Amino acid sequence: MGSPVFVGIQRILVAFDASPHAEHALDVALSMAGDMKAKLFVISVIRPPEPAESAEFHAVLEDGQERYEKCFIPLRERAKQKDIELETDIVLGHPAEQIIHKADTIQASLIVMGKRSHTILHRWMLGSNSERVLRYAHCPVMIVH
Amino acid sequence: MANTWALCALWVGLALAATLLAIWFKISTALSEIVVGTVAQLVIGVFLTGLFGFAQGGLAGNTQWITFLAGTGAIVLTFLAGAELDPVIFKAKWREASIIGLAGFFGPFLGCTAIAHYVLHWAIMPSWLCGVALSTTSVAVVYAVMLELGFNVTEYGKAILAACFINDLGTVIALGLIFSPFTIKTLIFVVVSIVVFVALPFLTPWFFKKYGGRVSELEAKYLLFFLFAMGGLAVWAGSEAVLPAYMIGMVLAGTVGKDHSLIRRLRTLTFGLLTPFYFIRAGSFVSVPALMAAPVTLLVLFGAKSLFKAIAVYPAVRVHKYDGKAGAYYTLMMSTGLTFGTISALFGLNHQIITQAQYSYIVGTVIASAVIPTMIANSFFLPRHLLPHSQAGKKAGQEIMRPVPAEEG
Repeated sequence: MGSPVFVGIQRILVAFDASPHAEHALDVALSMAGDMKAKLFVISVIRPPEPAESAEFHAVLEDGQERYEKCFIPLRERAKQKDIELETDIVLGHPAEQIIHKADTIQASLIVMGKRSHTILHRWMLGSNSERVLRYAHCPVMIVH
Repeated sequence: MANTWALCALWVGLALAATLLAIWFKISTALSEIVVGTVAQLVIGVFLTGLFGFAQGGLAGNTQWITFLAGTGAIVLTFLAGAELDPVIFKAKWREASIIGLAGFFGPFLGCTAIAHYVLHWAIMPSWLCGVALSTTSVAVVYAVMLELGFNVTEYGKAILAACFINDLGTVIALGLIFSPFTIKTLIFVVVSIVVFVALPFLTPWFFKKYGGRVSELEAKYLLFFLFAMGGLAVWAGSEAVLPAYMIGMVLAGTVGKDHSLIRRLRTLTFGLLTPFYFIRAGSFVSVPALMAAPVTLLVLFGAKSLFKAIAVYPAVRVHKYDGKAGAYYTLMMSTGLTFGTISALFGLNHQIITQAQYSYIVGTVIASAVIPTMIANSFFLPRHLLPHSQAGKKAGQEIMRPVPAEEG
């Protein structure tokens, strides 16, 4: 028996935060999208500092937009080479909520995201995005380690 | 006199620690700096000053240069906050914005003043200052919520955003005028301010076009000149320097506010050097023993701020057809206002309007109103409005994704 493949996957959503884990998740998603002729959606979420303070908030917003736009340039090139239809989006908010919302909006067949290793304190204070997405997403979720 | 460089290293070291904490816990740097300032004051009081005689007089001490850097931080931060106004939206929506914004200001302003005076039995002037400090809203928090929900492009969302500027303008004007002695100096300040505010939108673009765009950073010097000059005039008249700073930001929002490169350079100056001194200093005046001695005061003020803000803001949120829980959540998020809250409290402390204990309660309330909604959001808030749909989808999703042997695929 060969490696398993998944049928019916037409729209893959990748949560991308420019971390090495997210890069790895993106590689996996690109490979899957190429194999399955699926459309690839990449969402990057800018998380505002809480509570948002005027000048800092706008700085974080602009910085995040620029950083992700830069990351998307080589990604678009890679997708083009593999003949994968790609759509990128940069949104603001809580990552888990925005990923789920995007998945709902595009009716994603699969969400692919990297898992970041957090400390117990970090997880207690802020929660784990991947766990929240796993719990609330309407579609299958693949966590890439 | 303390070793200036050692003292400076201590402050910048604290700023660095605060920034790291902000990154780790995903909180705003301002909040982190206030908390670090409060904790550092305790530690320094016990160890550094007590044991080694370093930083005599506490973290802020009596050093003029720290006061200057902190004050400049408050002025530039307020200017930047004002410069974020969208004049086009404001012109189109000023009527609605004024009604909502004034309600958002007067609700907590009058309510918290009354609670401080009649329930906590504070004297009338500290009560007014308490009302001013707790009347603010955070434009950035509201904008963040709007962006998340996509309301920033709707007509109503734009009106709410403009209303937030009116709300904060109410706070700044109240701070600048209520405690002013109303003499001939006040009249001169008001007249000169009007002339400057009318002239700047015309003078600034012309001046920048003619002389700007050079490495000598003429634009930054020009802005700082007007901010300091008007701030000086305000203080001379017995008012507060952030009042003209916010107004200058607002009147230049259509010109300077659109120059992203200049705003970025100002932000670098502000975050890199100025605001850490402001927020750490503001935190250093918070008396933890005072807070621990009367925690009920803190609870009363926090309750008053949340209640009166909710009374004013909740009806506006309900128009968006949020259910009770979500509406309450967003209302709570709109009750934060670190910058103007601490500026008002520090003004009161510096002018002996409030005592250090009262300052501690007000800043404690400002921090609590910022931290508690954040903690709720991070620890307990879940996308419940997506849940019914998600649960239904999950069942369908399990059918879509089924592993099959490669041969079949």
